[in-house]
Amino acid sequence: MTITRGTFAFVADLVRRRSAIVLEPGKEYLVESRLLPLARAAGLDGVEAFVAHVRRTTDDRVLEAVVEALTTNETSWFRDVAPFEALRDHVVPGWRATGRDGARLRVWSAACSTGQEPYSVVMALADAVPGLDVLATDLSEQVLERARQGVYTQLEVNRGLPAPMLVRHMARVGSGWRVGDEVRRAVTFRRHNLLDAPPAGPFDVVLLRNVLIYFDADARRAVLERVRRALRPGGWLVLGAAETTVGLHDGFEPVVLGRAPLYRVAAPVRPVPSAPVAPHRARAVPVSVVPTPAPGAGLR
Amino acid sequence: MRALVIDDSRTMRRIVARSLQGLGFETLEAEHGQHALDLLAEGPVPDLACVDWNMPVMDGLTFVGRARAEPALRGMTLMMVTTESEQSQIVRALAAGAHEYLIKPFTTDAVRDKLELLGLLPAEEHA
Amino acid sequence: MTTMIAGDDVYAIAEDLFAAMVDGEPGTVRPWTLPLPDWTDPVHAWVDLHGDWSGRAVVTTERATADDLARALLGLPADEAVSEEDLQDAFGEVANVVGGNVKSLLPRTGTMGLPQVASVAPLLPGSALVTQVLLDWGGRVLELTVRDVP
Repeated sequence: MTITRGTFAFVADLVRRRSAIVLEPGKEYLVESRLLPLARAAGLDGVEAFVAHVRRTTDDRVLEAVVEALTTNETSWFRDVAPFEALRDHVVPGWRATGRDGARLRVWSAACSTGQEPYSVVMALADAVPGLDVLATDLSEQVLERARQGVYTQLEVNRGLPAPMLVRHMARVGSGWRVGDEVRRAVTFRRHNLLDAPPAGPFDVVLLRNVLIYFDADARRAVLERVRRALRPGGWLVLGAAETTVGLHDGFEPVVLGRAPLYRVAAPVRPVPSAPVAPHRARAVPVSVVPTPAPGAGLR
Repeated sequence: MRALVIDDSRTMRRIVARSLQGLGFETLEAEHGQHALDLLAEGPVPDLACVDWNMPVMDGLTFVGRARAEPALRGMTLMMVTTESEQSQIVRALAAGAHEYLIKPFTTDAVRDKLELLGLLPAEEHA
Repeated sequence: MTTMIAGDDVYAIAEDLFAAMVDGEPGTVRPWTLPLPDWTDPVHAWVDLHGDWSGRAVVTTERATADDLARALLGLPADEAVSEEDLQDAFGEVANVVGGNVKSLLPRTGTMGLPQVASVAPLLPGSALVTQVLLDWGGRVLELTVRDVP
């Protein structure tokens, strides 16, 4: 059951006041998925009942738990799962259908931190494309050095890495695990400031997840414009689950692929209008453009 | 959603059960694989079984093989929760039919991540 | 042939255990840098490892510390008494987790026995100390030792 507009508005307002993160309409699925476990733990039937309870509570910890559930920003593998499935099951087949056999898929992981995201991209896509080049950038040389080593603790590999991928792509080293050479080879780590000119593209996919929140509105627009210029026409932007380009930059078209909203570079580029942007309704990609995945295809 | 927690340590059963309850599951407990099979024969099949490896009477690997071979239990997701963390052990568990593998020690966040990968969280309840 | 079991790795195992399951947050254990004090009321938990390599992983601490560990793992309040059964089970599970992770450091996969807990240090005839790690958990000392039987 989808939550009501009023329920969504209450949650979005709470989150915005406490974290400055904005949940746009269209993100009802996120509120449902992140709050349903809290609802069940409280012994309630669903998110509606739970939010009614939250509205009445005087316990600040409950409010904090709601905000935390919607804004958690930890480093895990395959974060939110659905975007990686969308890349494998929709973006790549679409890319191949445009006659790119032999070409290499170029991906930019633009806030790569300790490397789980770019390595996850390789693990998800390497079988599906003839060639894959991932550029992974971050502001901190320290985290980049960790990412290059590709060594993770037992606790870190427990976070969202499917067991079949763990045994296939990683090997034990001491008490930790190390990413295998065939995966590490596909990733180049480089220091980069998002406020600077973008790396040389064009990229087919850019992941810019959970980093725009650290910029003010003007800087966010500027970063998105640089990213857009680094993507080829028809290329795809992947944001964090609570983020959107809508209202910030209209050079992207929101498209739901599978269960995840992605943002496609609109081609040709239109000038930015001076009128306010209307709230988006995510549209499904026409079947003729993007092949449907095989049944039973999970992220395994 | 219901989960069966199979571990010979009462402490570990309690820790796993607490994590699962925090994620909205009702939990049952069993001390080893045979006890678990006996419980499963009596009642409705849970959505998930969290299975320790080293247990007396019937170990977790054996239980996984038996559960996968039993038609009535095929719908139950099997996740091993164990200190066995050699690559070869994980491969053996997956080959025996385990769907996922969680290495001890683990956090509740790790349990949640695994359940999301398995599609057990959130439930596909969109009407 | 036990060069595979490095003190740093055993320390990392302990750090992960405390961060993930005992305290729920990292940073609660540090190396114990003072000399190991004489035990007054110790309790030991151990697991035996078998295979190409045979040995034993032991966790030792004062009874009061073991009780606190048990409370943390079982979610008991600070003033609740810890039964003997609870102590055996919880402290034994600590040895189980440490021992299992130590086992995985070895080059060839072996097997592990069930954990045991006692107030008397277990003897392993002919064994030699491979590594010893001292932990500071909120000012209390825990000793992790790994012994092998050549």
